[in-house]
This record gives sequence, C-alpha cells and structure tokens, in this order.
Amino acid sequence: MTNLAMWARLKSPWVIHFNSGACNGCDIEIVALLTPKYDVERFGVKLEPSPRHADVLLVTGAVTKQCADRLKRIYDQMPQPKFVVAIGACACSGGVFQGTYGVEGGVDKILPVNAYIPGCPPRPEAILDGVVKLLNALKAPSPPAPAKEAAAVVLKVEAAPAAETLQETKPNGKQ
Amino acid sequence: MANSEVDILKILESKLQGKPVQIQPGLGKAAIIANGGLHRDVLKAMLEADEKTAVSAITGIDLGANLGVYFHIRTKDSLITIKSEVPKENPKIATVMDLIPGAAFHEMEVMDLLGVEFEGNPNRGHLVLPETWPEGIYPLRKDVNPNEVKLNPSPPEEKSEGKLVKIVVGPQHPALLEPEKFAVMVEGEIVRAVEPRIGYVHRGIEKASESRTYIQDVYLVERICGICNTCHATAFVETVEKILKTEVPPRGKYLRTILLEVNRLHSHLLTLGHAGLEIGYETLFQYFWRDREPIMDITEMLTGNRVIDSSIAVGGVRRDLQESDIPKIKSVLSDLRKKLPFYTQVYENEPSLKMRMQKVGTLSREDALKLCVVGPVARASGIDMDIRKDEPYEAYGEIPFKVITRTEGDTWARMNVRMEEIEESINIIEYAIDHLPVGAFRVKVPRAVPPGEAVTHIEAPRGELFYYVKSNGTTMPERVKVRTPTFSNIPAFLQTAIGQTIADVPPNFVSLDPCFSCTDR
Repeated sequence: MTNLAMWARLKSPWVIHFNSGACNGCDIEIVALLTPKYDVERFGVKLEPSPRHADVLLVTGAVTKQCADRLKRIYDQMPQPKFVVAIGACACSGGVFQGTYGVEGGVDKILPVNAYIPGCPPRPEAILDGVVKLLNALKAPSPPAPAKEAAAVVLKVEAAPAAETLQETKPNGKQ
Repeated sequence: MANSEVDILKILESKLQGKPVQIQPGLGKAAIIANGGLHRDVLKAMLEADEKTAVSAITGIDLGANLGVYFHIRTKDSLITIKSEVPKENPKIATVMDLIPGAAFHEMEVMDLLGVEFEGNPNRGHLVLPETWPEGIYPLRKDVNPNEVKLNPSPPEEKSEGKLVKIVVGPQHPALLEPEKFAVMVEGEIVRAVEPRIGYVHRGIEKASESRTYIQDVYLVERICGICNTCHATAFVETVEKILKTEVPPRGKYLRTILLEVNRLHSHLLTLGHAGLEIGYETLFQYFWRDREPIMDITEMLTGNRVIDSSIAVGGVRRDLQESDIPKIKSVLSDLRKKLPFYTQVYENEPSLKMRMQKVGTLSREDALKLCVVGPVARASGIDMDIRKDEPYEAYGEIPFKVITRTEGDTWARMNVRMEEIEESINIIEYAIDHLPVGAFRVKVPRAVPPGEAVTHIEAPRGELFYYVKSNGTTMPERVKVRTPTFSNIPAFLQTAIGQTIADVPPNFVSLDPCFSCTDR
C-alpha cells in the first residue's frame, strides 16, 4: 500500500502554490509552467487549489509578518507526507528584502524546506528541475523523511503595551 | 499645452489672492505651500478649474519637528504638489475625502505609516501594516526602528454576523495569485459590502530604500512588482535624474521606451489570459500565455533575463540593442500582430465572454473621476488620460500613437482597452526600432545625489505610477514614496462590486489587473 501511494505521488505530484510575500515574478513563472510552452501537466504535476489535497507546497517570496501565520496554517492543513519547495531568492533567504521591517525572512524560518530553487526569478526550467530533483530524492532507497511538525516556531510574539515598546526604540535609530 | 500650464497656475493665483499661500516652482509643475488647513482651499480651487483634477498620491514625510503632508494633485497635463506641515506632537490635518472621495485610501496609508490623523476621515486601523502591529508605532518616522517592534498576538478568526453571510476570499485562494483577503458580505447571491484587507505583501520597501544606496535602490524598487518591474525602475531613476539634472542620451531614451512597451505587452497578454481563467474560459488563458512566451524571449534577448530585467540604470540603460537582434524582434512582433484579429474577435464578439463581462462592474465617468482611478480602468470609463500623451517622458513625445478609450466603463470595456493597446504597443516598438538614434545610451552619474526633491509619474501597464524622492546630499535617499496604480484602482472595485452577484466578483476584480505586491510594497 505504501508503495502504491509512493508510486502515485511520484507519477503525479499535486502541488499547491502559496505566495507569502513575493513580487509576482516567481508566481508568473510558476503559472508559465502550466502553459503550452512548458506544460508540466504532461508529467502529472497538477496545481491544486486546496491544501488538503496537495503533496507539495511551492512557496514564493520572503515570508512577511502578516503572512507567516497563514503559511504555517496552510502547511498544517496538508496531509502527510508533505514536502516544501522554496522558489526564488526571497523564499530561500529573504533575498533583497532581508532585514526590512515587514519581512520575517526565508521560508525555512517558518517551515522545514525540502528543496531550494534560487534565482530572481528562477526560470521555469529551473523550477521544473527542482521539482524533479525532489521526486528523484524520494525514489532513493532511503528517502528524506517528511517533516512531521513544523520545526521552527512562528513569530515569537509577546504581548507588550504599545507605550512601553515606544520607549524601548532607540532615539534616531536608523534601520 | 504650454498655455494650459500657465492657465492653471494663473487661475490658482487669482482664486487664492489674499490667502497666505506660496506658489513655488518644483515638485511637478509647482509646489504650493498651504499650511493651517489652506490645502483644502487650494484643492477646491483646482477642482473648480479642471474637471480631471485627481489625487495622485499623498506623501507623508518626517521633517524632524514637523510631519510633512504633501498632496500630489494630477491635473489634465501636470502634477502640482500642495505642501502642508503639521507638528509631530499633534499631527492633525483636515481630510480632503469630502472634496474628492478617492483620497480616502491615500489618507489611510499616511495614517497607518506616519500617524498623521486626517480629521473627518472615519477609517481607522491598519491598512498595510500587519494586524499584529502595535498601535502608536509608525515605521516611516525617523526615530522609530521598526525592527525592534514587538508584535501583538494574532487576533481571533472572524465570524459572519446577522443576516449577511461573510465569504472570506483569501489570503490563499485559487483565484488569487497573491495573498490578499477580501471579506465579501452577501445576502443570498447579492454582494452588500466588501471589506478589503491588504498588506499581506507589505515588506517595508519605502523604509528599506532609505538605508540603501541609489544604485541598490534601483534593484529594490524593481522587486516591488515582478510584472511591471521596468516601469518601477524607470520611474525611480527618472526622479533621481531630475534631482541630478541629468539628461539621458536620445538612444537611451528610445531603448527605455522599447523596454517599457515590451513590459506592457507581456503584462497585458498576462491579464487578458488571466481574465479568461477567471470566467472559466481556460482555452483563452492557454492561448494568451502561449503567445506571451515569445515576448518573454524578446525581454531575455534585450536584457538577459526573462522577468526582472534590471536593465534600467540611473543615466540610461545597461545594455545596448544589438543590430543582429532586430530581425528576431520584428518577426516576433509581426507574428503577434497576425494573431490579434482572432483575439479581438473573441473579446469583442464571443457571446459567452460578453455575458460574463458586459455590465459587470460598471463605473461611470463621474465616479471614475471622483475615485481618482488610473490607467485602463479610467480609459474604459471615457477619461482620456494617458501620461505617455499628457506629459510625455522618455521618447513618447516623438512617437505617434493613439490613446484608446471606451465609454461603457464595464469589465468588458476594460479588457478591450487592453486588447487595443497591444496593437499600439507593437506600433511604438516598431517605430522606436526604426528611428533609433545613434550614439551613447548611458551617461555617467555621481553616486551621491545633491539635496533636492522631485516627483515623476509614468504610465505603467496598470495606470499611473507615481514616485517621489527626496535626497539629502548623501548616497542614500531621505525618503522614497511609491504610489502604484492598483492602489488607486481598488476603491473602484469596492464600489462597483456592491449590488452585483457573487459570481461577478472575480471578473470584475481581474478587470482592474490587480497587483498587490505593488499595492502593499
């Protein structure tokens, strides 16, 4: 049974795409993958709208503070085993937005990532190559164990009154 | 055109006589200093003088002891800035949303990011900042280090109230490529209210650009939006060039024009296809995206990258056009031109498409003027505004082209405006290649920019894109303000969706060509 499920997963991985704060550059390249020139559906890769039916989560963009919670929630809704692919420089590390106040960082700050596809944006061929590499890794005799629970903790939030935080900020502090 | 420029300032001078208002050159056509609530009088006079007067943007800026509130007003052929200042301890200024309702959204952003209170604007709460962001901390103030801000815990989930059912679309939704949330309140099938929650892509680019050099900022602002990245880079470097008083060589201007139009082609083809997807016409989506690929190949040939081209630099462009590339570009363009009659036929005459798009999201000319909408949305409602024509930049003044307008104002008209603009873009690129001047395509510019400020607006694929840059003599800007076209067009969706069925929401929404990475920055 396990073999059958793995066979199905390799032959037709269902992917879900979530933009966690991307500039649309990577997103339009993912959509371009579905269109006649690249056409990933011939390999059985299907873009799935609901996280509950998806095997692979494709994340684009640096994770913004507003999105971090939602990204985690989408990951939690996916059935086991699940895999995460970070697409683009921002998803890999935060990219050009590292250190800006709205951005938490790369996807691996929030979720365990199985494959990184760098590039700004990566070409559709590169995204395809990344997904194929992930699938090949699963075929190996000892495949990488899918993560059970998100390793990283989302947003260490502390309830602090606004006035107190204001005092803590440095006067004339530059970002 | 020169006459009307003189006129609007003369009219203003005569109307504002006896009031302590100063008119200075700079920041567009003129900067008008109007403190103590006089900004309303200036705006009122401008609205009376020119029906096309609209709020382009409102910039909030930290000036030390005071906060500056700059109203950038667009007239039919120029930008005029009304400058006001309010004390930082008590930052209150009268709203202008009763004079021109489109200003409400702009005011909310200044309230959110700088904490200026617009008296009379009832909207409160975060617009672009995360909902966990604490009250009373404004990231664009100079004395705030937003990286040290402690966030509040996440608020609980929302529930439907009363008779209205709340349908939450987003942040992850099959119809949205981007994470945004729209709570649509429906009674049966009919939409009664739409509550937007933007800010899921708010990265803090305006603040980040203050701690990066001008050269780095070009790469940063390009990544505000991956689709219209060339427009962002061009608008930013043009603003910096205005402060530097640099003149780009003619060949550089033509090459920029070619890049901008290639950008527009790919953006319009993308949207026209996406609209097909939203109404369940997937074949159309696949066709458009198939024909978009050769345009991406041109971009790659011209710049070395498919999407984010990073080809615009302060002082010109980074790469010259190779003589050997011209036949390929021309053959791609003529292939696309041959396919246009088929697509035009589909968008004009296909009955199922017309049933889904006609009379959906109709925006009248009066409402479009009041809501300050821009770009194809404004042109589909019968307003002939196109910055390329009204205030030519780069080489647009020398290239003949038509401004496409329609009068219906519905989703169908908006898509057809884009359809016809594709042909105009092809004409512009072909003309620019045929008339490409010889010579340098880039000039050297100093790294440090002398103190000064400037504004620029250009016509991006989605409409007017506005940039304000203030420099302080160093290699890093003091303030960069970006107002993107989608930000101005969202109020149109919020208004037109009401009273229509829930099934009309996606086509109506896509007809604005929404781009949230632009909106949130």
